[in-house]
Amino acid sequence: MDAAGAVPARTVETHDAEALVVRHSGTTRITHWVTVVAFVVLLMSGLQIFNAAPYLDASDKSNPQRRILEIGADTAIPGKSAGVVRIFGHSFGAGNVLGYTDDGAGGVAERAFPGWITLPGYQALADGRRWHLFFGWVLVVCGVAYFIAGFRRKDLQALILRRADLPKLLPMQLYYFRLRKDPPPYGRYNPLQKAAYTLVLFVFTPLIVITGLALSPGMDAIAGPLTTVFGGRQFARLWHFLLMVALIGFVCVHITLVASTGVVNNLRSMITGKYQLGKHEGDGP
Amino acid sequence: MRRRMFVSAGGAAMLAGCARISNALNDNGTIHNILGAAQPLNHLIIGTHGRAKTYRESDIDSDFRVNGFDTPSDARYRDLVQGRFGAYRLVVDGAVERKQALSLAELRALQTYSEITRHDCVEGWSAIGKWSGVPLGTVLALAKPAANARYAIFHCFDRAPEGDPYYESLDLKEAAHPQTVLALALNDRPLDPDHGAPVRLRIPTQLGYKSAKWVYRIQVVDSFRAIHGGKGGYWEDNGYEWYAGI
Repeated sequence: MDAAGAVPARTVETHDAEALVVRHSGTTRITHWVTVVAFVVLLMSGLQIFNAAPYLDASDKSNPQRRILEIGADTAIPGKSAGVVRIFGHSFGAGNVLGYTDDGAGGVAERAFPGWITLPGYQALADGRRWHLFFGWVLVVCGVAYFIAGFRRKDLQALILRRADLPKLLPMQLYYFRLRKDPPPYGRYNPLQKAAYTLVLFVFTPLIVITGLALSPGMDAIAGPLTTVFGGRQFARLWHFLLMVALIGFVCVHITLVASTGVVNNLRSMITGKYQLGKHEGDGP
Repeated sequence: MRRRMFVSAGGAAMLAGCARISNALNDNGTIHNILGAAQPLNHLIIGTHGRAKTYRESDIDSDFRVNGFDTPSDARYRDLVQGRFGAYRLVVDGAVERKQALSLAELRALQTYSEITRHDCVEGWSAIGKWSGVPLGTVLALAKPAANARYAIFHCFDRAPEGDPYYESLDLKEAAHPQTVLALALNDRPLDPDHGAPVRLRIPTQLGYKSAKWVYRIQVVDSFRAIHGGKGGYWEDNGYEWYAGI
């Protein structure tokens, strides 16, 4: 890779097909898996916390007039209770999936998210908060360790989307859609990967932590603008939820791509660090 | 059809398994204790600093949400309501040099605070109201906490459906915060029974469960271990964090 200038765009198959490169450092691998655990716990305990007030308002105080999302139940006809999801005032039947669903203790009850996806399964706000506030710290400590190690080793620099990557975004997407035979030339990560990781590492994850803190009355008293910039406490709760949706979207795409681009090679690289380069890949920045 | 039923039954069993696993993890005592480590950290880092945001008159919820336990219905409280709280005394005792028994008129004479602040419930909702009353620090200063005093315990008239009395506690630093008050009025009207009459605690820098309603006694102590469940409050005895700033 020192000869980067001489080898046009580093996409030619110059590397040994059998050669394994060390792609992920120890810190990256450990923090990745700890983050996986933290993500699952934060998601499930967060939905538990959401259940205590299953609505989101685009305002500072609670305000039904500015309600964006609400998960409730229609219990008017005995024996025919069903969940109802209201988005911008439009109601959608949710059957027994949301709203009137698994209570996590073997029965069915009026609750927004079902027991199988909350932590704990049964409704217990205090316990959900205990998990959430602890694993919030796990995520932050992990994130800081990853950033420090990543910048030191210059691993992170390779993940950041640069100006030069912008014109390559569309061709790369066309390649993914099989509308283009070859991808544009790239280094260790392709431009779409860089866009996704830059967004997740530098925007979504920091913001989900900050919007979570914006819900804290103690934090609001120390750092007033924090809650205000998100439109107030309830609005911050809405942002926190939307960021969760965005991160779930990222995880879905991430897992799909890990599975479809050589699952053994990809998983090995995140466990032992060793990675076998593909025919379009280089190992430079 | 049969296959679909089989798949959905299998799916349901798998989902039920999820809840069983997360319930088992949640009920594990060691894990429960480890998770508790976040609380002192949050208390240390966030604490009770700065000032809660104040709002304009137009932000006020005229119909301020009533929550918490049912308004007390026992004879003691009913008689007080009927007598327009003439017989009410707020007792301040425990580790103090000068025990107090303050009437509502005496408390009103000490009223200096009035601010429009947001009430943040642990459940996630918020409401805005204008709270007026006596800074808690003023009342505690009258009683002169002893050198060993660390916490103020708030004993309340209300009870949980199972019978446990509501109580809360703050450390004396939180109690001295200028926005920590004994509220006597909401939205310029004396507190009504549903909102905690005649006196309720109001601390906008922490979650709503700290703002105990129907307070009749403030007990100053060096430790709350021996009081009720020993965790410093009704909700704390039921798993919520003592530090409620987050």
